[in-house]
Amino acid sequence: MNNNKYKILIIEDENNIRNFITALLEANNYQIITAESCSSGQMMFNSYRPDLIILDLGLPDKDGTEFIRYVRSENSTPIIVLSARTDEKDKVEALDLGANDYVTKPFGSAELVARIRSALRSTRIKSDSIHQSEKFVLEKLVIDYDSRRVFLDKTEIKLTQTEYNIVALLSEHCGKVLTYSSIISSIWGYNDYGSKKKLQVNMANIRKKFGATPGNDCYIINELGVGYRMDKE
Amino acid sequence: MIKHVKNILTSLTILAGAFGICLLIQNVFQTEALIPAVFVLAIFLISFITEGYACGIISALASVLILNFAFTLPFFEFNFTMPENIISAVIMIIVTLITGTLTTQIKKQEAIKAESEKERMRANLLRAVSHDLRTPLTTIYGSSSVILENYELFSDEQKLSMLKGIREDSQWLTRMVENLLSVTRLDSGNVKILKTSVALEELIDSVLKKFRKRYPTQNVILDLPDKFISIPMDALLIEQVLVNLLDNAVEHAKGMTKLMLRVTSDDGKAVFEISDDGCGIESERLKTIFTGYGGDNSPTDTKINSGIGLSVCATIIKAHGGEISAENLKNGGALFRFTLDAEEEDDEQ
Repeated sequence: MNNNKYKILIIEDENNIRNFITALLEANNYQIITAESCSSGQMMFNSYRPDLIILDLGLPDKDGTEFIRYVRSENSTPIIVLSARTDEKDKVEALDLGANDYVTKPFGSAELVARIRSALRSTRIKSDSIHQSEKFVLEKLVIDYDSRRVFLDKTEIKLTQTEYNIVALLSEHCGKVLTYSSIISSIWGYNDYGSKKKLQVNMANIRKKFGATPGNDCYIINELGVGYRMDKE
Repeated sequence: MIKHVKNILTSLTILAGAFGICLLIQNVFQTEALIPAVFVLAIFLISFITEGYACGIISALASVLILNFAFTLPFFEFNFTMPENIISAVIMIIVTLITGTLTTQIKKQEAIKAESEKERMRANLLRAVSHDLRTPLTTIYGSSSVILENYELFSDEQKLSMLKGIREDSQWLTRMVENLLSVTRLDSGNVKILKTSVALEELIDSVLKKFRKRYPTQNVILDLPDKFISIPMDALLIEQVLVNLLDNAVEHAKGMTKLMLRVTSDDGKAVFEISDDGCGIESERLKTIFTGYGGDNSPTDTKINSGIGLSVCATIIKAHGGEISAENLKNGGALFRFTLDAEEEDDEQ
């Protein structure tokens, strides 16, 4: 067997959903391992050490968030959560616990594959940046961490301190959705009533400086009601 | 508690008013004939406005005492020997009791009417939905079993077209379920919706991305205010409203070339307008456009998601304390408008 393929662990109790995700990902050249419950998922995780995990939150034995806690207690394998539309709070909780991204059911195949690629890329960027110089490159977006400067298409974008801090934070977690509260506590250190609006205003300015318009992103993707994510699109 | 205080205050105010008017009448017209009539009116008003009987009865007794004390001979002295005083007391109490009973009944009936109206809407919605769910399910179930059972019989093209049908109808089903979820989110235990501040720009961004997934070729012309606006709302629900209204234009505005989404902020209110230059809305339909289905004889064979979609919009906007309306434009096309309260501007850095 080809061992160069990324290994993906799918934890989902619905047989049909598991089958179609497996078929889709195998067609996209990934190696697939599956589990139907939280406990068998933990076993699979320990014995196969997958590169990425797709996790359904509603599992028969334990809540999916338990599994995120379990994985995050020892390593940073990317986790993509599958969620139903109604549980917005669960989404935020899963992300705050360390999940990288979420996909809302029902989802199209293209969407899931894109999210998987982006999550795998983010771990690659992270492991690369340890060896390389302190520079972040995402297509036309370049961030020089040393001089705290941001370039888009080779033109420098003048950002305020706070704006730069937000952009840098998102770039360090490229591909991962950061919730409002996690961004706020890393940027300002505290989280009070007006913080979310402060973040939104700063973000509006950043988007303007990046030349983004509603419906057209520019590397920073807005996840309404949840948070923000840096990614190419 | 607050209710009681309010009732008592209202009663006192009305009684004091009546007393003042009576003093005035007595001084100006030099007559006592009008005075009982004024008090009867006061009692009637009190039992009509306040809840329960207590305030009315106490005010009636008080009025009798006031009448007796201030406006009958001897002035400003109690006199319980005159039989007409007793009779006027009895009359006032009867007026109170009758008015109180009538008012309570009216209030009860209004509550029942509102409840049954809600029930009717829900029943309509359910009836429509169960019918509407069956149509796409037929395609999905039928096509997939046909393919599975006769796999070799069909050409690739045939199979592809059936699969496309399955995908199309399941997407449609998804939209329907999303609308239903919105309604249940509103209905669950009558809990007030949870509003959080949402940046207008981010809301529109999210709406456009969803819309573009469904209709990649349909352009939406945007007109947004330049300044930063934050609106307290349940973001998922308002997103649903905007997506429904845009969808509705694409599906129903025949001959549309321009689809426009415009938001203006005016006096602490955000006004959302979705307009098109299509065929407009029939005036018959316009009357009942937000209440679900235009009667029992409306055609039920077509996909009438719009009926559900628009009544869901109305329910969501109402729950936010906003207003929604629809109209035809002079130059052709239709315009849907809804308003929400925006956040106060507090210019902090």
